[in-house]
Amino acid sequence: MHIPDGILPISVTAGGYAATTAITWYSVHKINQKENPREDVPKAALLAAAFFVASLIHIPVPPTSVHLVLNGLLGVTLGYFAFPAILIGLFFQAVMFQHGGLTTLGINAVIMGLPALLCFYIFRLRNIAGRGERMTGAFGFLAGFGGVGISVVLLLVILLTNIPADLDAGVERTAIFTLTLAHVPLMAIEGAFTALMAVFLQRVRPEILVGA
Amino acid sequence: MDSKWKVIICLAFLLIILGLPMHAHAHGVRIEYTSSMAIEIVAKYDSGEPMSGAQVVVYAPDDLSTPWLTGVCDDEGRFTFTPDSSKPGTWDVQVRQAGHGGIVHIPVGEDMVVSGGIGGYSVIQIVLMAACVIWGGVGTALYFSRRRA
Repeated sequence: MHIPDGILPISVTAGGYAATTAITWYSVHKINQKENPREDVPKAALLAAAFFVASLIHIPVPPTSVHLVLNGLLGVTLGYFAFPAILIGLFFQAVMFQHGGLTTLGINAVIMGLPALLCFYIFRLRNIAGRGERMTGAFGFLAGFGGVGISVVLLLVILLTNIPADLDAGVERTAIFTLTLAHVPLMAIEGAFTALMAVFLQRVRPEILVGA
Repeated sequence: MDSKWKVIICLAFLLIILGLPMHAHAHGVRIEYTSSMAIEIVAKYDSGEPMSGAQVVVYAPDDLSTPWLTGVCDDEGRFTFTPDSSKPGTWDVQVRQAGHGGIVHIPVGEDMVVSGGIGGYSVIQIVLMAACVIWGGVGTALYFSRRRA
């Protein structure tokens, strides 16, 4: 899901940085409106570390393998902190493991961070639908499932519209679709994981979940 | 007279027939050689699985915008090509599959190296780096919870 350096044209990577700057500014602006903006920093730091490590956990989905993303979980627990946390996690992944790249940091943050923000909005609908355990689980699943799902769709669109002329477009398109389909089981796994986490946190520490 | 001519013609034919292969054998053997170094690329994902079927684009040093050669990795993620030795310099080889991939720069000519590559860490390195970042996260969390208390 991480796009490395040298895959996308400069215009797309620059657009990614512009969008990332705008979303980060919006997130920080919203965080500053809170009564105590520093309150959620410990939670954000820990989940940024979890996001960083999650990409090292590979799940084989023949003929390829995918890794955990956890952006849905970050949206559910961090709210407006999710996007900056993912941006920091992606930065360390790019610098340390060359997973992704520095030129594509912006576009990767959009691919994984924007869905996290959307999942936060989805999960917040729980306030309207009801805060019972069943509803928490259902919205948790929706957030985890949707987090990866929206990311994959964004990735699909960006890759399909940027196949260079030097490549055999048909073969590359097939490879992209194969990779996209391989993420469907991951969507279910992350949905289930986020639902379990949401129900667990609702029981033990409900204040950790957003919109509590 | 007639029979004499017949014998001569027959002998002439015989000589020609015998002479033809002799004529061919009369040339010595000439073997020429030019040494050319083939370059083998092995492309794997960082999970260790080979990039089978990934597309390879080779760019010669004199023209980095037009592909010199295109091809596909085999099931083990291998791709072999022989660079044109008349074009010394850095050859760029891009391996790409479904938005994943990278470029490796291979010097060809005087400063040729036997092997090289990009990426790849040992498990211990990965664990250590991950532990450092986790500790960074935990440290940040502890710092900010202390201030709050």
